[in-house]
Amino acid sequence: MESPLHHFELHPLVHINILGLDLSINKAILAMWAGMAVVFFLFKAAGKRDSSLVPGKLQSVLEIGMEFIRGMVEEFIGKEEGKKYFPFIATVFFFVLACNLIGLVPGSYTITSQLVVTGAFAICIFIMTLFIGFAKHGGHFLSILVPPGVPKIMVPLMVPIEIISMVARPISLSVRLFANMTAGHTVLAVLFGLAMSASLVIGWMPFGFTVIINGLEIAIAFIQAYIFTTLTCVYIGDVINLH
Amino acid sequence: MPQFEQVGVFSSLIFWSLVSFAILFVLLKKYAFPPILEALEERESKIRNDISSAEQLRAEGQKIKAELEAELKKAHEKANTIVQLAHDEAKKNQDKLLQETQAKIKQMQQEAEYEIQSSRNKLFNDIRNYAAELTVASVEKFLRKRLDDQTSQELINESIDEVIRSMEQSAN
Repeated sequence: MESPLHHFELHPLVHINILGLDLSINKAILAMWAGMAVVFFLFKAAGKRDSSLVPGKLQSVLEIGMEFIRGMVEEFIGKEEGKKYFPFIATVFFFVLACNLIGLVPGSYTITSQLVVTGAFAICIFIMTLFIGFAKHGGHFLSILVPPGVPKIMVPLMVPIEIISMVARPISLSVRLFANMTAGHTVLAVLFGLAMSASLVIGWMPFGFTVIINGLEIAIAFIQAYIFTTLTCVYIGDVINLH
Repeated sequence: MPQFEQVGVFSSLIFWSLVSFAILFVLLKKYAFPPILEALEERESKIRNDISSAEQLRAEGQKIKAELEAELKKAHEKANTIVQLAHDEAKKNQDKLLQETQAKIKQMQQEAEYEIQSSRNKLFNDIRNYAAELTVASVEKFLRKRLDDQTSQELINESIDEVIRSMEQSAN
């Protein structure tokens, strides 16, 4: 039986090398582009009907998604401030969701099962929150490291703890998404490997499980996209509305 | 685990995912989100306007209903008053008519009685006059001519005929 982690391996399809940096196109990137294209064309198709007052099916579904994200943004960031960040948050949601879902297509690849990718996004979001915080509050932004109501004597202790908790945010954000995606696909690979290697008499059982787990993975794809987006909102909201 | 071991693909994964995300962000922000957000806002404002206008219409409707009910009540009262007045008038007319008719009947009765009485009196007078005349004539004839029975009988018949003739003349 081949290793269940085998399908996480990536091989360059188009070799690109710029300034000594390997920027080759591989399956993961192609799958990501496919997901992005689906998202973009779905939105274009939905908006094509001149954004009619009576929405079609596709427009309704996308509007539900947009309303959902808008509610989230308004809740965590604020109604006025939220408008500025809504396009970014919505893009994060639909990007992560598309990457998660496109990986469920057999032969495709889930780019969010790559820790470097989720990590890069988490770090970018983390850096972005720092920029937003300093741009909005200046030096006062550092007060985020001291929770309100903490006695002065505790400040030297609280600041390192808060720094650790701040730094832990991108780590937890990236690892959560990566681990969930990897685990789901690994389970699917193991079950499918079992189904393929066992005889038909017993092999239908793990195969049946792959069907169930696949359904579960669709739900997880949505849930993880939701969690990733919600936490992004929370982090941005935290630095905008200090304490 | 390939995700940790294939260090060579890290650079391309990070680069392309961030660049692709940035492109998707720009594309969605510029071309995809605005129509849908506009549609949402337009619908929201339309629904809000519709609800407020519906409430306004409802309030207006209730006002009109109350006015109509008041009018209806007034009209009912007026109608009742008119019916009562008509009823009273009719009763009054009926009573008046009855009284007039009774008075007329009484008058007619009195007139008839008077006429009957006068006719009777006249008849009695006529009868008395004719009887007297007859008697006088018979006696006169009888006294003038003392003739035989046959003659006297003829005389009597003659005088009777005379009286009848004069009665017929007076009747005509």
